[in-house]
Amino acid sequence: MVIHYKCPNCGADMAFDSDSGHLSCPSCGHEENIETFPEQNIERKFDEGEAKEYHCENCGAIILTEAETTATHCSFCGAPVVLADRLTGNLAPAKVIPFTVSKDEAVEAFKKWTRGGRLTPRGFTSGDRIKKMTGMYVPFWLYDIEGEAHIQAIGTQVRTYQSGDTIYTETNFYDVFREIDLSYLKVPADASEKMDDVLMDKLEPYDYSELKDFRMPYLAGYLAEKYDFDDEQLFSRVESKIVPYIDAYISTTISGYSSVSYTNKQIDAQKKKVYYTLFPVWMVYYDFDNKEHTFAMNGQTGKVVGKPPISAGKVALWFTGIAVSSFAAMKAIAFAIGGVLW
Amino acid sequence: MRNSYWKWAWIPVLALLLFFIGGLSVSAQAGDLIHDEAGLLSGEEAQELEALAEQYGAEQNVDFLFLTTDSTEGQSIEGYMGDFFDDRADSTGREDAVLLTIDIGGREVYLAGFGTAERTLDSERVDLVLDRIIPEMQSGDYAGAFEETVTTSSEYMEYRPGVNPESIFLKTWFHLAIALLLAGIIVGSMLYNAGGRVTTTPGTYVDRDHTRVRSQDDRFRNKTVTRRKIPKNKDGGGFGGGGGMTGGGRSFSGGGRSF
Repeated sequence: MVIHYKCPNCGADMAFDSDSGHLSCPSCGHEENIETFPEQNIERKFDEGEAKEYHCENCGAIILTEAETTATHCSFCGAPVVLADRLTGNLAPAKVIPFTVSKDEAVEAFKKWTRGGRLTPRGFTSGDRIKKMTGMYVPFWLYDIEGEAHIQAIGTQVRTYQSGDTIYTETNFYDVFREIDLSYLKVPADASEKMDDVLMDKLEPYDYSELKDFRMPYLAGYLAEKYDFDDEQLFSRVESKIVPYIDAYISTTISGYSSVSYTNKQIDAQKKKVYYTLFPVWMVYYDFDNKEHTFAMNGQTGKVVGKPPISAGKVALWFTGIAVSSFAAMKAIAFAIGGVLW
Repeated sequence: MRNSYWKWAWIPVLALLLFFIGGLSVSAQAGDLIHDEAGLLSGEEAQELEALAEQYGAEQNVDFLFLTTDSTEGQSIEGYMGDFFDDRADSTGREDAVLLTIDIGGREVYLAGFGTAERTLDSERVDLVLDRIIPEMQSGDYAGAFEETVTTSSEYMEYRPGVNPESIFLKTWFHLAIALLLAGIIVGSMLYNAGGRVTTTPGTYVDRDHTRVRSQDDRFRNKTVTRRKIPKNKDGGGFGGGGGMTGGGRSFSGGGRSF
């Protein structure tokens, strides 16, 4: 099933506008609220029998997609289309964070980021070789996690005091028990196989106050994908993500000791709820030195991640600069205190 | 004959006079700063040290004095060197001095700073100098000990009074190490963060309403006590630290050791 959102004014294909949060018509500028979009203007077309092949309703061209794609453009006429049967049933997202960074803003934000690169080569910092920018909804699973931790540990308190010409070191040992209720809300893990996990983790955090119930029009004009891994498959990844958080919390509950060694640490965590959610990501393809570099930008906050090229000369310059100036500063302090330079 | 006898008589007198004058000038030179009454130095050593002491003394505007004796005549070494300095200062009027005294009979050494040197070579610094020269004292290299005293004291006297000149924070190698370490850490973290930083924290996803300690218990179990004796001063021979006052009312910084 292919969906076009037709403008009630002029009949052109409408796309999501990140500035207004509405559907907007590129030809007449008309805007429509997503929640109240008139049903008769949603053009649905079921392709009989063959779910793998979609036809653009505007020009009739075959829409070429990968199996994961849920929203794209017609490669022939450019009309935004949403592939609805890949977004229904099991594949229906529960939530979405709409784009708030428009393409122009994304280009600006990316250029600003490259300018701030202190170790990147001079040619890179101009940020003017963006080859392609793609706005993409990346599938994530959000987990509400509930659990408990049972902790046994031995804590020590060390006291030293002097009596006569003897120094006494007194060490008190304590048995420490903690029972802890744990609850974490909406911990994300990216469910797309082709997205780099480390990159996606660095894009966090998203602002959940703008988390909306999913509606298909949000996808119009962007690329979107469906998940490759279901919530069961990804749970271990989310677990490994929150274990450091849990450890950090546990250590805050045991205070007042000079050292703590855990004898038993039992953490049970279960998922209480999962939300299939689409997060907005700008993918930036950038040419530099005959090599393509891929960056990702949080489509809500503008945060950029990715591996920029590193200039060895600039690294050396920074290193020498910091070393020399801190050496000079320390010498100056030493001179001010001691009165001798060498 | 008689006439000619007297004619030549003035020669030995002159010779004696010349010798005396020459001897005086030699002893004025060698005896001004180096007073080797115990005969620990060879003539050559004494001359070299005299020159060294003069050179450094001119830089620091103090007299570097070296006094050796077989016996302190029943006095403490501090008293003995105090009397010596009182005599010298009274006759020459030179009050600013660093005085290294060796009593080879009692096998004691005392280093004192007078006048301006009481501040520029305070008792803490005296102690540091003594640390350095004790090995030479023990091996019998007294010339070396005085040389070390002169050079090290001069070096210390360059520093502002009250500052520990051996402090690690004043060492160039320490500055260099910290500078390189700092640059390494900062540039390393810049490199590490060049691809974007992780900005989530343990608090990002926590549900504060439902994450809590349900029950806790901290129970005393046992205690251990270890004892350690504070080590005594290793040479056991430190004395007279902090300086004092000579019989003639001159105050000084100083410290002594047995060796």
